[in-house]
Amino acid sequence: MKVYKIAIATTLLALVLNSVVYNADAAITQSVNVDEIVREAEKAAYYSGEDGIADARMLIIDAQGRKQMRQFTILRRDITDNGDQQMMVFFSRPSDVRDTVFRVEKHADLKKDDDRWLYMPALDLVKRISAGDKRTSFVGSHFFYEDVSGRTVSEDNFELIEENKKYYVLKGVPLDKSTVEFDYYSVTIDKKSFLPILINFYKESDDNYRRVEAVEIQDVQGFPTVVRSKVSDLKTGGYTLMEFRNIKYNVGLDDDVFSERSLRNPPRRWLD
Amino acid sequence: MSRFNKEDMQRRLLQRVLSIIIFIVCVHGEVYSKPFPEPYEDDWGMIDWEEESEDIYQLSGFLEMASGVRLSNDPIIGTDKTLSDLRLQVQFDYDLQASQFSFVSDAYFDGVLEQTRINIREATWEARLGFLGAWGNRFDAKVGQQVLTWGTGDNVFLNDLFPKDFQSFFAGREVEYLKSPSLSAKVSAYFDVFNLDVVLTPEFEPDVYINGDYFSFFLPTAATQVALGFDVTPPLRPQSPEYALRLYKSVGTSEYAGYFYSGFHKSPNSLTQDYRPTFSSLNVYGASFRTTLGNGIFNAEFAYYDSVDDKNGDNPLVPNGQARWLLGYEQEIVGNLEGSLQLYTESILDHQALIQNSLTPKFEPKQHRVWFTQRLRYKGMQQALVLNAFNFYSTTDKDGYLKVSAEYSPVDLWRLSGGLNIFYGKQPFTFWGQFEDASNFFVRFRYFY
Repeated sequence: MKVYKIAIATTLLALVLNSVVYNADAAITQSVNVDEIVREAEKAAYYSGEDGIADARMLIIDAQGRKQMRQFTILRRDITDNGDQQMMVFFSRPSDVRDTVFRVEKHADLKKDDDRWLYMPALDLVKRISAGDKRTSFVGSHFFYEDVSGRTVSEDNFELIEENKKYYVLKGVPLDKSTVEFDYYSVTIDKKSFLPILINFYKESDDNYRRVEAVEIQDVQGFPTVVRSKVSDLKTGGYTLMEFRNIKYNVGLDDDVFSERSLRNPPRRWLD
Repeated sequence: MSRFNKEDMQRRLLQRVLSIIIFIVCVHGEVYSKPFPEPYEDDWGMIDWEEESEDIYQLSGFLEMASGVRLSNDPIIGTDKTLSDLRLQVQFDYDLQASQFSFVSDAYFDGVLEQTRINIREATWEARLGFLGAWGNRFDAKVGQQVLTWGTGDNVFLNDLFPKDFQSFFAGREVEYLKSPSLSAKVSAYFDVFNLDVVLTPEFEPDVYINGDYFSFFLPTAATQVALGFDVTPPLRPQSPEYALRLYKSVGTSEYAGYFYSGFHKSPNSLTQDYRPTFSSLNVYGASFRTTLGNGIFNAEFAYYDSVDDKNGDNPLVPNGQARWLLGYEQEIVGNLEGSLQLYTESILDHQALIQNSLTPKFEPKQHRVWFTQRLRYKGMQQALVLNAFNFYSTTDKDGYLKVSAEYSPVDLWRLSGGLNIFYGKQPFTFWGQFEDASNFFVRFRYFY
C-alpha cells in the first residue's frame, strides 16, 4: 500500500514537473515549433515514402457548370525529404491530351527554377518549358501547378494562430508578395497525420477567394494520404475535384524512369 | 458526259457517307450528353474509372470540319478556297505486355482538291527491347509509319530532316499537321555516356511542298508566279533510303546533341538536264545546345548542308550547300503569357559561283538570309482559350509570315479554332513574298469522341 502511494505521488510529481517544463519550453520556443509543424506537414503532404505511384483523375467544373475530365498517372521520386523531387505525369484522358507526358525536376532551392518538359505525341516533340508562374492553372484545372508540386515552405512566414486538440491553424504570409496573387493564407493541419486539411487564401481585407480542402484521407502502407481533394474558386463558384487511386509507395523507381526516354516511350512496367 | 456523271455519282456517294458520319456523331453526342447529369450528381462518382484502366486497347479520335478562304484573289488559282476539310481521325492503341501497337489514321474529304484522302499518321509497333536480355534494356524500337521530330527550333528546322507538310501549315490546319509521317524504323539506345537515336527510312519521304495545288509560287526560270499542281514521281523522286542519327546527352540542366542526316533535299528544288524538277542528294551535319538561362530557355543550333551533287556550288541545276544557325530564347513574360525570339540565318556556300552560273541570277537569294521570329502565347479562361501569334520576319529579304490563331475549348468534347495566315513582302520572288496571295483566314471545329 505504501509503495502504491509513493508511486502515485511520484507520477503526479513527474506530470507536474513535465508540464511546467513543457509550458516553459513552449513559451520560449514557439517559433521553432511552428517551423517543425510546417516541415512535418510538407513531408506528410508531398514526401511520403521514397517514391510513389498513383492514378489521378480531375473533374473540373467551371462557373457555368460545364465539366471537364483529366486522367493521368503520376510517378514521383524524392531526391531528399523536403528537398528536390523528380516527377512524371502521363496523361490518358481526354483523348485530346492522350499520351502527353509532363516531366518535372523540382528544385527546393528558391534560386533554382524547376526544370520542365512536355512531350506532345502528335508532333513527336519534346518541348522544354520555361520556368513559369507556379500560381497558374495546372492542365486547365482550379489546381495551380504549385498545389500539385508543393509550395516551397521557405517562401512564407508562418505563425500559429489557433491550436486545439485536433488541429494546428497556421497563418502563412508570403515573403515576396509580388510573386503571388494572395495576401495571406490559413492552413489547418491535422495533429495526428500532419496533413494540411484546409487551406483558405485571402486577399486584402480578409477576402477569402480560394479554398483547398482534403476531403478524404486514407492510410496507404502506413502513410496517411489525401485521396480526395477539392479546390474552389469562391468568386466564380467553379471548382475542381481530384481523386487518387492505386496509390503505392516505395516501389523502387530509379533515376532512369525520370528521363527523356520515358517521355517518348513511357515505362510500361510502372504504368499498368 | 460520262465522266461528268461519274463525278456526280462520286459526289453523291460522298455526301451520303458524310451524312451518315454526321448522323452517327449526332446520335453519339446525344447518347453521350444524356447520362451526364445523373452520374455527375455525386461528382465523386466519376464514371468508368476501373473498367477503363483494365482495357488493353483504346479507341478514340475526332471529327473535324475546317474551312479557309483567301484574303485576296490569286489570279493564278481560280478558287478562293484554301482549306475545306471534313476529317475523321481514328486512333487505336493495343497494349501488349512489353510493347504497344498504335494506329492513327485520318480519312478526309479535301474540298479544295475535291478528293477523298487517307493519311495514316501512325501505324507502329513500339517496344523496349528488354526481352532480348539485360543488354536489350538499353534499347527501344519504334517501327512503322510515324511522325518524327528533333532539334531545338520553334517552327524553324535545321537538323530535323523528317518530312514536313507546308501546305497544311500555310492553310491553317492544326499545327500537328506540319509534321508529316514517314515509314521508318527508329532504334534508340541509352548509355551512361550518351544516348543515340538512329532512324532508317527505307524509301525517301519528301516534304509536302508547295506545288501549286493550294497556293501558287514563284518559278524563277519562268520569271513568274505559277500553280502547276505538279507531283514529282519516281524515277525523279528517289526511292533510296534516308538515314538520320542523333547523339545526345543531358548534363545538369543543359542538353547537348549532335546530328547527322544522309538523304536528299526534302523538296524538288533541283532540275534535271531537261529542266524537270527532281531531288538531289544531301548530307547534313549539325549540333544543338539547350539550357536554362535567367527565367527562360536558351537554345542554339547549327547545321551544315552538304549538297552532295553541287560541291563547288557552280551547278545551276542543283542548290548550293548551306550553313544554318539558330539562336533562340523563350520565357514567361507574366503569368499565362509566354514570349519567344529566334534569330535564324541561312548562308549559301559558294554564293559567288551560284550567281556566276545561275540561269536566273536576279532571282537568286542573297548570300545570307536572316530571319527573326517572334512568338506570343496567351492562355486565358483557365486555359480554355489559347491565343497564339507567331511571326517570321526576314531583315534581308524584307518579307515575312504572320500566323495568328485562337483556340477555344471549354469542354473535353469540342474545340473551336480560328486564325489568319498572312504572308507579306516587297518582292514577288522572295521566300515569303511569293506567297502574298496565299494569305488566308481559317476556322476549324473539332469534335472528340
